[in-house]
Amino acid sequence: MPGIVSRLRRAVGGDSDTTADTTGTDARPDGGTVTEGTRRERRGPIERVGQSLDDRFGGDFVESLPFWLPPFLLMGLFVYGAIVWNLLISLTDYQGFAQAPDYGNLDFEMYVRAATDSGVIDATINTFILIVAFTSATLVIGLALAILIDRGIRFENTFRTIYLLPMSLSFVVTAQFWLWMYNFNNGVVNIALGTFGIGPIDWIGNSSIVLWAVIFALVWQFSGYAMVVYLAGLRAIPSEHYEAAKVDGASTLRMYRRVIIPQLKGATISASVVLMVFALKAFDFLYSLVSNFRPPNGADILATKMVREAYSNQNWAFGAAIAIILFAMALSIIGPYLVYQYRRGNL
Amino acid sequence: MMDDSISRRRFVQATGLASAVALAGCSGGDGGDGSDGGDGDGGSDGGDGGSGSMGTLEVLHGWTGGDGAKAAEELTTVFEEQHPDIETEFNPIGGGGNENLDAVVANRLQSGDPPSSFANWPGPNLLRYEGALGTVDDVWADAGFEDVMVDEAVDLHKQGGSFRAVPLGSHRLNCLFYNIDVVEEAGVDPDSLDSVSAFADALDTVATETDKIPMTHGMQGTWTTTQLWAAMMLGQEGFDAYMNFIGGDGDESSVRATFETTATVLENYINDDASTIGLTGSNENIINGEAAFIHQGNWAAGAYRNAEDFAYDEDWGFVPFPGTDGMYTLHFDSFLYPSNNPSPEASKTWLEFVGSEDAQIAFNQFKGSIPTRTDVSMDQFGPFLQETAEDFANAEARPPTLQHGLAVEREKMTALNDVISSEFTGPYNVDAATSGFMDAI
Repeated sequence: MPGIVSRLRRAVGGDSDTTADTTGTDARPDGGTVTEGTRRERRGPIERVGQSLDDRFGGDFVESLPFWLPPFLLMGLFVYGAIVWNLLISLTDYQGFAQAPDYGNLDFEMYVRAATDSGVIDATINTFILIVAFTSATLVIGLALAILIDRGIRFENTFRTIYLLPMSLSFVVTAQFWLWMYNFNNGVVNIALGTFGIGPIDWIGNSSIVLWAVIFALVWQFSGYAMVVYLAGLRAIPSEHYEAAKVDGASTLRMYRRVIIPQLKGATISASVVLMVFALKAFDFLYSLVSNFRPPNGADILATKMVREAYSNQNWAFGAAIAIILFAMALSIIGPYLVYQYRRGNL
Repeated sequence: MMDDSISRRRFVQATGLASAVALAGCSGGDGGDGSDGGDGDGGSDGGDGGSGSMGTLEVLHGWTGGDGAKAAEELTTVFEEQHPDIETEFNPIGGGGNENLDAVVANRLQSGDPPSSFANWPGPNLLRYEGALGTVDDVWADAGFEDVMVDEAVDLHKQGGSFRAVPLGSHRLNCLFYNIDVVEEAGVDPDSLDSVSAFADALDTVATETDKIPMTHGMQGTWTTTQLWAAMMLGQEGFDAYMNFIGGDGDESSVRATFETTATVLENYINDDASTIGLTGSNENIINGEAAFIHQGNWAAGAYRNAEDFAYDEDWGFVPFPGTDGMYTLHFDSFLYPSNNPSPEASKTWLEFVGSEDAQIAFNQFKGSIPTRTDVSMDQFGPFLQETAEDFANAEARPPTLQHGLAVEREKMTALNDVISSEFTGPYNVDAATSGFMDAI
């Protein structure tokens, strides 16, 4: 036990020389040089177990235990445990309050029901459209803004702040904004279009438009985020690349298309994963838009459908099945990204 | 390279430390919460030994704003005056049509941690809580509620032969409110509207004679349209057709006819921005003199009472929805009693109080609803509610509300609203909506 404590103290102390000195076992001149190769005096069985664990799982396994173990357990229980439990519930026929879910009789009935439920199918299609259209539009606009700002314009910081500001607002606020702006009679959008002789358009009430109106509002909110990610990517590109392209006689358009944008692949992938996850969370926005679980006709997504089935109808198993479908969609987005990052050695 | 590894190590250490601290903070907070729940019995003088064993009375309800909040506060004040020995914890949970309240209640019932009592609708709505409600037969017997409550309340508060809840107040659903200036400008006499077709003619007159909105409607949620459809059905097809429909034995032609009329009204006579506004915004149109009529439950009148210079019979008026004269479309706000109750005695005391004269007067005069007891003096109520109570007592029929739990169980109600949402929020597809409704019930 004292061994662990001293290891802990050393780990907490980091590269502070005084702490390292007081532990006495191995003084570290500076924290950065301690690696697996560092020789230590071994005492007692605990130390030996620690050493074998270190050998098995890589250095610092025992030292780092207090830091990653509690979050690991919490994540394991509340995230991954909950997912597994949810999967189990979706295989039962659980509904109402009267009986506990019957785990003895598992089948895929709820998934069959979901596949034949026109509401779920519509919601799935809407969710898919939302993810694809929102992500691609946000990336394009974010890239355009980033390139413009990166050209060294005046008031660069001001513009950056202005574009990023909407993202700092809560969905509740932006949904309310857009609800007012989309008002048929006195909304800003229709008034502005009216000056060009267009409209008025019933943005929320028309079931073939409403999803696009929602996507537009979300793009407005998140293009600033995409801009910041791209801006960081652009800043990391050495100016030699620009100069070389110029020397070789490339036009500005060609330079960006052939030289600069290909180098933003990493930024694009990171940003699109985050944006897709935001798209899956559009529940908040839709809920705030209508202040209930039923979005306007034509904008129902899996998340709202799931909450309605679970909490309005007490169809827990069916709601859980929809949740698993949503989870599978999210996983199909995140999974390839993780694989990609792993292959590149970033994980 | 060296710098990079140092900073990464530092970063990991700092993160680890921060999350460890955060974790400690969390668990500390939890402990604090626990002790919060434990104390707070400053109110009891210790004179009554029984009070300790009764447990804290925890009541969940959804009245967080406006009239509702005031009424709930009044209700709890009176209760605490009458029962100073009971520890109480009233938790209002606001948000869209009780959806958040329902979700909280659902979670707590499911996890075996029910509140002492919670507000909801009785009737078929109780089915969603089947197996999770305890019996309060003794409360009804002791207080003699069966004799004093309106007849319909007796059946609607039973499930499986036992009472599960106690009613607090009732709203009327078949209401048509109007702005007097606007109808006078159009030359329409609301009192003469004795049928749905007369009502449609009146809307047309308003449209041609004035530049106001004939009927204001908020379609942000689907519930307003569902409840309008129910009123239309009652007014046009009559009590029997309506009761057959909710009983699952509906006549397809009367459902279709109702949808046709409703579609005519919604297509031609409502505000253009209906899809972006809810009840509050819609009701503003009446108060501001922008619209002639609105169909709503009589909670809408609460906004008129709170508006400045907007008096009953001078600025706004009321008639029963055309064709439903002599009917009172029934709604109940009730308190339900969960089984596995954390404080059975206190909960039953609370429910007995809810059904009492004092409670019903205290709550309903501010909420804009009326007592469900028939023996309560209406002196403290305004003229509008006095008239409502009179209609309530003298009603020839009290059909249950479709949208508020008394007519059909929750899942069917959701299905009906799904149909309205997908087929009847414009464009109005009468065929699909009719078959959807027939399938849903």
